[in-house]
Amino acid sequence: MPSNQSTLDEVVRANPDTKSRAGLPGSMPRSGLAWGLLLLFSLPFVLLLLLALGQYWRFPDVLPPTYALDALTRVLSADSALASGLLLSLLIATVVAIVSTAGGFVVARAIAGATRPDRWVTLSYLPYALPPVLLAVLIQPYFIRLHLSGSLVGVVLGLLLITIPFAALFFRSFWGEQARQYEQLSRTLGCTQVQAFRRVLLPLARPLLITCLFQTFLIAWFDFGLTNYLSVGKVQTLTVQVFIYVGEANSRLAAVASLLLLIPPVLLLWLNRKAIVRRVV
Amino acid sequence: MKQRSLLLWLYALLVVGLPLAGLFNAFLYSVGLVGPLSVGFTPRYWQQLPGETSLLTSLGFSLYVAVVSVGLAVILALVLVLRYQTTLRHWPFPTLLYVPLLFPSLVMAFYLFQLLGGSGWLARMAYQLHLIQSPAGFPELIQDGAGLGILLAQVGLAFPFFTLLFQSLYADARLDELRNLTRTLGASSWQFNRRVAAPILLRRAAPTLVLYGVAVLGAYDIPLLLGRNYPQMLSLYITTKLQRFDLTELPMGYLVGFLVTLVLMAVIYATTRWTQRHAL
Amino acid sequence: MFTMNLVRVILFLSLLCTACSTNEQRDPATVLNQSWDQIDERGRNQPVVLLMWLGDPYINDYMNKYVKPTVKERFGIDLQISGGQGAQIVQTLVAEREAGQPSQIDMVWINGETFYQLRQIDGLLGPVTDRMPNARYVDFSNPFIGVDFQQPVNGMEVPWGNVQLAFIYDSQRISQPPRSFAELPAYIKAHPGQFTIPNEFTGMTVLKSWMIALSGDPKLFQGKFREDVYEKWSGEVFRQINELKPYFWKRGETFPEQLSTLHQLFANGEVAFTFSNNDAEVDNKVNLGFFPKTARAYVPAPGTIQNTHYMGIIRTGQHPEAAMVVANFLMSPEAQLKKMDPNVWGDHTVLAINKLPADYQTKFNNLPTRRYAPKRDLIQGLAFQEPAPEYMVRLYKDFRTKVIENNK
Repeated sequence: MPSNQSTLDEVVRANPDTKSRAGLPGSMPRSGLAWGLLLLFSLPFVLLLLLALGQYWRFPDVLPPTYALDALTRVLSADSALASGLLLSLLIATVVAIVSTAGGFVVARAIAGATRPDRWVTLSYLPYALPPVLLAVLIQPYFIRLHLSGSLVGVVLGLLLITIPFAALFFRSFWGEQARQYEQLSRTLGCTQVQAFRRVLLPLARPLLITCLFQTFLIAWFDFGLTNYLSVGKVQTLTVQVFIYVGEANSRLAAVASLLLLIPPVLLLWLNRKAIVRRVV
Repeated sequence: MKQRSLLLWLYALLVVGLPLAGLFNAFLYSVGLVGPLSVGFTPRYWQQLPGETSLLTSLGFSLYVAVVSVGLAVILALVLVLRYQTTLRHWPFPTLLYVPLLFPSLVMAFYLFQLLGGSGWLARMAYQLHLIQSPAGFPELIQDGAGLGILLAQVGLAFPFFTLLFQSLYADARLDELRNLTRTLGASSWQFNRRVAAPILLRRAAPTLVLYGVAVLGAYDIPLLLGRNYPQMLSLYITTKLQRFDLTELPMGYLVGFLVTLVLMAVIYATTRWTQRHAL
Repeated sequence: MFTMNLVRVILFLSLLCTACSTNEQRDPATVLNQSWDQIDERGRNQPVVLLMWLGDPYINDYMNKYVKPTVKERFGIDLQISGGQGAQIVQTLVAEREAGQPSQIDMVWINGETFYQLRQIDGLLGPVTDRMPNARYVDFSNPFIGVDFQQPVNGMEVPWGNVQLAFIYDSQRISQPPRSFAELPAYIKAHPGQFTIPNEFTGMTVLKSWMIALSGDPKLFQGKFREDVYEKWSGEVFRQINELKPYFWKRGETFPEQLSTLHQLFANGEVAFTFSNNDAEVDNKVNLGFFPKTARAYVPAPGTIQNTHYMGIIRTGQHPEAAMVVANFLMSPEAQLKKMDPNVWGDHTVLAINKLPADYQTKFNNLPTRRYAPKRDLIQGLAFQEPAPEYMVRLYKDFRTKVIENNK
């Protein structure tokens, strides 16, 4: 569901205000709320872990009667496909993140300078009108004609279709009056356009760029429908492999697979928060 | 300048060109001009459209799910942001609220299925506490008539996101300062929240909320696992027609997809224009 | 500057993708006119893209750990297995054909209704089996193999495995499962909330079997689709189901949309029955620690549908010879023996044991037995042929309108 992440642009600005600080000793309701949410969000990990490790676990047992690592080892050792899928996922998500962040950055600048920026903003929202399932089916014939069907390039392009407008909308707020003034100022002070970009605008946008990279990376990382359909099943990213397990096989393997899908973004979140906090300090 | 407009046109080709081309393709399918069994132009499928009563049910149900789940998530997020403003700024909330954003909807659906089903984890606990005697005794939380399971999943995914969104808008609009100001003018906290803060936040978040609603409307995985086969949500309705075994259903599937996309495009267009005109 | 760079990147990318797809379309007649030796020679050291259902870890293991390395070693063929089935295959082929492009797919794993659709769009290369050396071990006169959903196979698809619909139940919870379709209604009424039918392929096979059982005359369903037969007996099944609905899982207000969902409900202990199109599946699900060890499979009287699944070679594929080499290998006594082992997959062979060389006959007869599934010779007398594909298509539609959406 790309649009799930598609609108995080506003959230970014939350980070300076919400950066980690040492917790103040909270009063009761405060910690109650914290514990409640902590429980709510950690419960999935506990249940998925129990499902992955427990054998022959059925109603009414609250805990599995026996535990075994077999499902875990089966998924991990099925063959090297999972490892190559992981690499493929990393490759695709990284390329998509970089291209769409860079593309979105310059497109947003062009939009800000266009005669009718409103129109371009509205247009940018249009790809989200199609349910993702339908989008893949509808654009496939054109991908076939462009010789993109079944290829890595095709998958990347399909994903860019979603991530570039996302990034363009994301950077819309950056290219306001202030950024333009900075750009003009540096030009009057004798910078070339390239210098203005490299020395002034990029550093200014750095935290936004990082967050946008993170967001677009996640969109590409989680994509199943577009990737699977446009590649005629040939580009088997980690997510594609995992979705096949979750959708079709049994709950033990599905649980292992779900955990596998969750762990890399959790790591990324941890890293990303650090990156965001760094700019404020 | 020339470069710029070239870039914009390339951009338009990608984000508007491809979806519109796809839409055109769907239209051709719906009038029988392309497709595996196409025999040339026919208005037949369009004429059959009024007979598809389950489409209306499906549309209604999808709207209901989108509106209620976004609505509930918004209320939850507003309460959190307005009542627990200071708490939210401290550990562990900033990180904690990001966690649900990392859940693909399929994983969320699978998790709720295992948690809330008649033989799910909660039901097992209820049994051990002698609250129920069999899976059938457990209240229906998923695959229920009211779409509770779907709503729970969507609210669970949406409210942390909305909380983060409102939180950032709150800071952005300097509502804290405004709050102090209104307090000195004698307004109660409740009055400030209701009359000032909530409307500002909602208005600013409107396009995001609408987009999110559109995404919920077109969701696939969650209703597949947690919903009933009737009423179906739109994506399921369309895919049933597109991906099952009956090739003669294809044109109708494309026709419905075509119409749904047009309507959603119109909705998105209207909201973005509206917010641009009423920009704060 | 940035703009220009971006434009350059885009141009470069589009160049790249036209350059790297120098696809060639092969003329079907020329391909088929070759002798097996020529096919074998041309097929070597090529890639083959196989689209198949990837939902079972045992099947995936068999393909990835055995078939893939073996064809690589013997024929230098790089077998690429992708997920995809049914209508997706058909739509992709149609889109490729409309674009005048050769297909990205070389080979597909199919059964009757996809075969029917692929024949409708003329998507399959054939006849191919008369070229394949291992086809001599197959008894095409066996109606369960030579006829697919009442359509003569005529060499257009390569038999791979043979399975029969089975009911799976938990013997610890149920001492006496209903032994026949006739006993089913009374049983469901006596045990409310424990039975349901998945609204997908396997569930439709249950309905077809039920329909044939009710009619008492399997011959009615042989040959072409008959409207009167369908109306009469599907009506009868739907009448019974609608009557039984209050006693179904969730009072029949909803049905699992996928077989995996029903399997999970069964594994969790919420329902007492699940189904499998593969009579031996119960063994592998128990071995995985998913189904309880007390799960058993059986075939209710007077029988259930038995069918064969096949490999189809795509007519517009780019490596038809290599695909034929792989299909021939999949049909070999060696690969079939491995596949039939219940510890590997448990998929019944399509080879006629008595046609095999003596040493293979011994090997097939000495395979480890199934532990939880019924013996093959016990259920062979309880097998119906698949009726014509229209029965399935119609049941799908009518199950939705007459049962699911029918809330009196």
